[in-house]
Amino acid sequence: MNLWKDFNQGIVRENPVLRLMIGLCPVLAVSNNATNALGMSVAVAFVLVCSNWVVALIRKVTPDEIRIPIFIIVISTFVTVCDYVMNAYYPALYAALGVFVPLIVVNCIILGRAEAFAYRNPVLSSILDGIGMSLGFALALVSIGVIREVLGAGSVFGVPLFSSAQAATIMILPPGAFITIGLLMAAMNKMENKVQ
Amino acid sequence: MKKIVKLGMILAVFCVLSAGILAAVYLFTQPRIESNSKSAFISSMREVLPEANSFKSLKCGEGKVYAGMKGKERVGAAVLIEQRGYGGTIEILVGIDLAGTIKGMKILNHRETPGLGAGISAPGFLKQFMGKTTKDPIEAKNDIEAITGATISSRAVCVGAMKALKEAEGCAKENK
Repeated sequence: MNLWKDFNQGIVRENPVLRLMIGLCPVLAVSNNATNALGMSVAVAFVLVCSNWVVALIRKVTPDEIRIPIFIIVISTFVTVCDYVMNAYYPALYAALGVFVPLIVVNCIILGRAEAFAYRNPVLSSILDGIGMSLGFALALVSIGVIREVLGAGSVFGVPLFSSAQAATIMILPPGAFITIGLLMAAMNKMENKVQ
Repeated sequence: MKKIVKLGMILAVFCVLSAGILAAVYLFTQPRIESNSKSAFISSMREVLPEANSFKSLKCGEGKVYAGMKGKERVGAAVLIEQRGYGGTIEILVGIDLAGTIKGMKILNHRETPGLGAGISAPGFLKQFMGKTTKDPIEAKNDIEAITGATISSRAVCVGAMKALKEAEGCAKENK
């Protein structure tokens, strides 16, 4: 099944963070606890699915030479609309996710999928690709967030597991992000080698 | 040459469409966004000064001072202070009663280091300021226990609290 493949390739085989290694900037910034990681994942999923949908929809009228500026217009329009609407109608959600929304503009997963997938594929496949990639992104981001929060703050999703005095604060500071991502990538490569 | 013009036109069409969508969404959502942020601010003021049920902006002092009213009677003030912390400006809202004691404190916004300075918004840290007046030293490592590894952030909150008390004192006589 081709559609199934479009959907699931983003989850593990082409996981955006751990295999394609794109979108690392927001991953480093917001994975310091599990709640933030989940919030960012939700916001990215919304914009990625929408932008994949629109890019696939307009791909026949988009000239090759100016496709990148057009993708950027589409993405930034979606991000801004998402920001305004959330702020106006879902203030509670905005209070939790608001800081992540402007960060999505710099998330190259969205531009990357527009360019590599949605521009060359029909609408349904592109939407499925968007959902799959978002799940892969969420999986990687939330795992990193959980690992860093447990080791660095002694809690998970804000629920304390042990005294934060025993936690290694370095894990929720920037170095912890690099260490965690590096180790997870190594584990992914090891798994990949075994499968082959 | 012709091609450049054609591509430019297509790009212009996309830009105009996008600008139109954004303008429409902005017009539609802006009033709600403003009223949301206003009501969020009012509910924060209620949190730091629970006695008051309405607030009135006072034109006095350098910062933003709001008189907390219960019916027609003034019961205290809510003072918004912007104080430089470690990572940027910290917005501190302080509720002060008529006797000049701190009744409640809330950090509205900060950019302190997660895991260290971000601890300033924890209730355990802010609780230490309850009941303080201008007669107290309000100093980190003196009567306020600073957060481990975040002396600068802790100190900024202390300075902010003191500033708020002085603002409220200066505005106490200000007309209602």
